[in-house]
Amino acid sequence: YPTRPVDKDKAEQELVVNIKKATSPEESAPKQKHVRKCIVYTWDYHSSISFWTGLRVQPILADEVQTFKALITVHKVLQEGHPVTLKEAHGQTGWLETCARTVGHESPKGYGTLIRAYVQFILAKLRFHRLRPEFNGLFEYEEYVTLKGVDDPNEGYEIISDLMGLQDQIDGFQRMIFAHFRGSANNECRISALVPLVKESWGIYRFITSMLRAMHRRTTDTEALEPLRTRFSSQHYNLRKFYYECSNLKYLTGLINVPKLGQDPPNLLDRGGA
Amino acid sequence: MSTLQHFGKGTLRVVKNYTKGYSDTQAKVRDATSNDPWGPSGTQMNEIAQMSYNQNDFVEIVEMLDKRLNDKGKNWRHVFKSLTLIDYLLHAGSENVVAYFRKNLYLIKTLKEFQYLDEYGKDQGANVRQKAKDITNLLSDESRLREERRTRANMRERLGGSSRN
Repeated sequence: YPTRPVDKDKAEQELVVNIKKATSPEESAPKQKHVRKCIVYTWDYHSSISFWTGLRVQPILADEVQTFKALITVHKVLQEGHPVTLKEAHGQTGWLETCARTVGHESPKGYGTLIRAYVQFILAKLRFHRLRPEFNGLFEYEEYVTLKGVDDPNEGYEIISDLMGLQDQIDGFQRMIFAHFRGSANNECRISALVPLVKESWGIYRFITSMLRAMHRRTTDTEALEPLRTRFSSQHYNLRKFYYECSNLKYLTGLINVPKLGQDPPNLLDRGGA
Repeated sequence: MSTLQHFGKGTLRVVKNYTKGYSDTQAKVRDATSNDPWGPSGTQMNEIAQMSYNQNDFVEIVEMLDKRLNDKGKNWRHVFKSLTLIDYLLHAGSENVVAYFRKNLYLIKTLKEFQYLDEYGKDQGANVRQKAKDITNLLSDESRLREERRTRANMRERLGGSSRN
């Protein structure tokens, strides 16, 4: 199957170790090298079944930090794994709901609320991808998808509304993560959950921008798009604030480039890039 | 062979090449992507690029690069220098190299969050992250890659370099 020189039995064994290490009890970021191996596995074998099985057999639900790290790992594998991962994830919603149910409300390290919100977000993401399988896990820009929606304005309107719904969920969740920072402690574990959120929100933002532009070009009835413009504008300001706050987190800026948005939302009626 | 290679890690690498039964091609890739704090040299990269036009050598080259790319943080130089070599091969190596890394883009893409702090707390991962980003962008932009490969081939011709077969 893979074009790379690999050994399936060895890969399966290593996957178990990688999942275990990515979801270790240390209150730190899931180590990227282990997350990366999980992602690479799904591409090598065009399957994520062993990844999910591996998660389910690990005793992670007893510990809130391990559960939270498992959700970060899941989120990253959904974003960057082989496209089949998103499809196969639909069969895993039961396990995700169990993660949210198992953690107590008065969890000592304060991850309970975050875990429940993370599960809600991942389930919303999966619902979106089920309806619109043409999007990849990071909403990376593909011209044909944009055009497809534009040809049918109603369809385009709905896609944009759905994307905006997801963007609002990201915004709500990131605010909650910031609100749960602890003054004295190092917040690396919590911050590491912001990394996939920055990437995903940026993908969605770019997509919405270019799609809205394309729709404005195709239609003479710009009045009808007014509700989307208003919502786009308010999401722009929220996202700008989110990225600004992220840019002050040294741990995070060391890992990814946090995008910088202009003071005001871009003009949807001109022809520039996103 | 420079005298430096007879010392320390260089010697160990020569021994390993021998005991692990690496072929000449594999040994060349290992040398070019070693933990030495210099290189890979233009000569080394050019030689490997020319070898990539041979199907057998091509397979051995990507096999070795695959190992190096998946190396651990402490060996970040293996990863960084493999990326450097891949960048070179995408420009000057055979089409097979382009096809291979386009198909296995995720190997490189997932290095965009590579992390390693050395014993002085210096962020050595940044080099790898930047290189992984550059190559991902290059591989995602078909026309730019075509253009850069053409320019390079033209330049070689004008400089009177032997034409590739």
